[in-house]
Amino acid sequence: MLALQLLVTGLVTGCALGVVAISFSLVYATAKIFHVAHAGIYTLGGYLAWSLMVWRVPLPLAFLLPIAACTALGALMQSQLYARLARRRATHLVVLIASLGTLSVIQNIIAAVYTPNILQFPLDWSSRMVAFGPVRLNWTQLLTIVVSVAAYAGTMWFAHRTILGKRIRAVASNPMLADITRLQPQTVYIYVIAIASALVCLPGILVPLDLGLQPYNGVTPLLTATIAMIAGGVGSITGAFVLSLVIAVLQNLSLLVMPGEWSIGVTFFIFVIFMLFRPTGLFAAAR
Amino acid sequence: MPRVCIGLAALAAGLVITCASAGAETIRFGGILPLTGPGALIGTAEMRGVQFAVDQANAKGGIHGNQIEVQFEDNQAKPDQSILSFNKLTDLQHVAVIFTGYSGPTLAMAPLATRKKVLLVNAGAQADGLAKASPYLINTLPTIGGEIEVISRWVAGQGKKNAGILFENGAAGMAGRDDYLKSFAEAGGTVVAQEATQFGQTDFRPALLKIADAKPDVMLVVITAGLLQMAQEYKQLDLKFTVAGTTFFADPSTIADPSSTGFVHTQLRIDAPPDLAAQFKAKYDTDMEFFAKQYYNAAQIVLATLDKVLAEGKPVTGETMHNALFEIRRFQGLIPLEFKTNTASVPMDINEMRDGKDVLLKEIKLE
Repeated sequence: MLALQLLVTGLVTGCALGVVAISFSLVYATAKIFHVAHAGIYTLGGYLAWSLMVWRVPLPLAFLLPIAACTALGALMQSQLYARLARRRATHLVVLIASLGTLSVIQNIIAAVYTPNILQFPLDWSSRMVAFGPVRLNWTQLLTIVVSVAAYAGTMWFAHRTILGKRIRAVASNPMLADITRLQPQTVYIYVIAIASALVCLPGILVPLDLGLQPYNGVTPLLTATIAMIAGGVGSITGAFVLSLVIAVLQNLSLLVMPGEWSIGVTFFIFVIFMLFRPTGLFAAAR
Repeated sequence: MPRVCIGLAALAAGLVITCASAGAETIRFGGILPLTGPGALIGTAEMRGVQFAVDQANAKGGIHGNQIEVQFEDNQAKPDQSILSFNKLTDLQHVAVIFTGYSGPTLAMAPLATRKKVLLVNAGAQADGLAKASPYLINTLPTIGGEIEVISRWVAGQGKKNAGILFENGAAGMAGRDDYLKSFAEAGGTVVAQEATQFGQTDFRPALLKIADAKPDVMLVVITAGLLQMAQEYKQLDLKFTVAGTTFFADPSTIADPSSTGFVHTQLRIDAPPDLAAQFKAKYDTDMEFFAKQYYNAAQIVLATLDKVLAEGKPVTGETMHNALFEIRRFQGLIPLEFKTNTASVPMDINEMRDGKDVLLKEIKLE
């Protein structure tokens, strides 16, 4: 029973991480930016949703408005920060530091405005439990699974069935050729970060709905999602999502055989194994 | 001629005022506390407790005419950052006293306090190692071992003989875990499971499930953040064992939440008079919680010590403050306490969380 509950809880966590991973993967594969500030957008989405719910804004709007705001913020970051750095031929290190600085600013503004207290969403239904035999999940966890799988499916459909999705994949595969053929990579980068920001807002709201809001909690999911992205194959949406599930489930199931403080070590152990035996990632060939 | 007399009188008056104010100076202390990061909730309360006491003293004219200033440094509850802040305050600001909190940072600074003879005042951290970490470190509250001994005896006396331990993977949590292992065994119990969590973590489900799988009668808890989330997840998983802890459980939001009904814990006794609590609330728009009271109390101890040092005409150094504090030994701040050693002994209670309130079960005097 313990193993089954840990497995299911791991799947829930993995689904949320999967959306972070595919959104981060979109940015990295296309714009080649290690967009650490993505963790700040993840965190900000949750706080905006919390504020709207406290102000008794109707629930659908309380979910949609933060997504819109994060989308706009992501687009702003690309157009006003990363694009400017690119025009000045900044190195990857400089871009990374700028992104880190942006993350720090976002986190500290959130902490200053909302305080560092752990905040709870004012929704009674979110913690109500549903039992599936010996397994217990709350409504937020169920919603996380449904929304995350829908986000994955939606992203796959977008990438393969829409003109913009194909354009993004073209720019990702060859930015120079894309520039020559007037696919306007710089505009595509704005679209990509905007879409990624909208995607990451989903777990940014759902995870704190279950576990509470903290200003500095975005970095750990981003780090794990990065590992999932690399191990799954950079640019592979399916790879990022599947490896997120694998990592989260293994982290949870590792508790059956080792103490909890080693569970983070499991993540990095998986990463090292993949880098040794499959450095291009598990799904790299399936792109 | 009258104008010359008036002018000379004014000049004389000015000289007198200047000489008087030249004798009074601003005495600067330091505070190294987490003002950002997961520890900021507690760190901010601690800072406000100190500042509130200092502001009150300054409003009454200071100590022997000297205004007091506290320079706070943010350490994010990290030991390495604490060292940098400690050196900055002592080498650049030459402070004689530094307020500190959190076990890891305090233990990191203790050897420096010994070497540089700076009085380190801890009013929040409780790792056992703090008792002997430095002759210049004073703890205004007991280390966690004392509380754990009391709660272990209590739960074992209630017939709970099998325990799981949930602890934070840091200095305070690991010290608490070790104390539980010793004290619960001495009380006739058996520890059947133990699980670590990370500081600031709010997903306790895997650890709770693993502990529950060992079928304990009671879960002994040493975590300093995320207690409300732990309580809610405990309730969601429909776990049945008793949950027990120490003063770390003194979180108003957890006490008010129905998920914590039945949680038992030791509670160091400290309270603020209603008018003082009202003044604090008016100033900071928040209630004067446990850590604010602790640090207000600690600041009162430091100010009383400073008063003695200045009255004796001694320079304000860490050494003179340290010696004066132990000469005074007994202090009456928010609670009466006595320094027989570096660590004060204070009374405590055993409380149970019930219907949104923290209900007294038993009073204990800690020797």
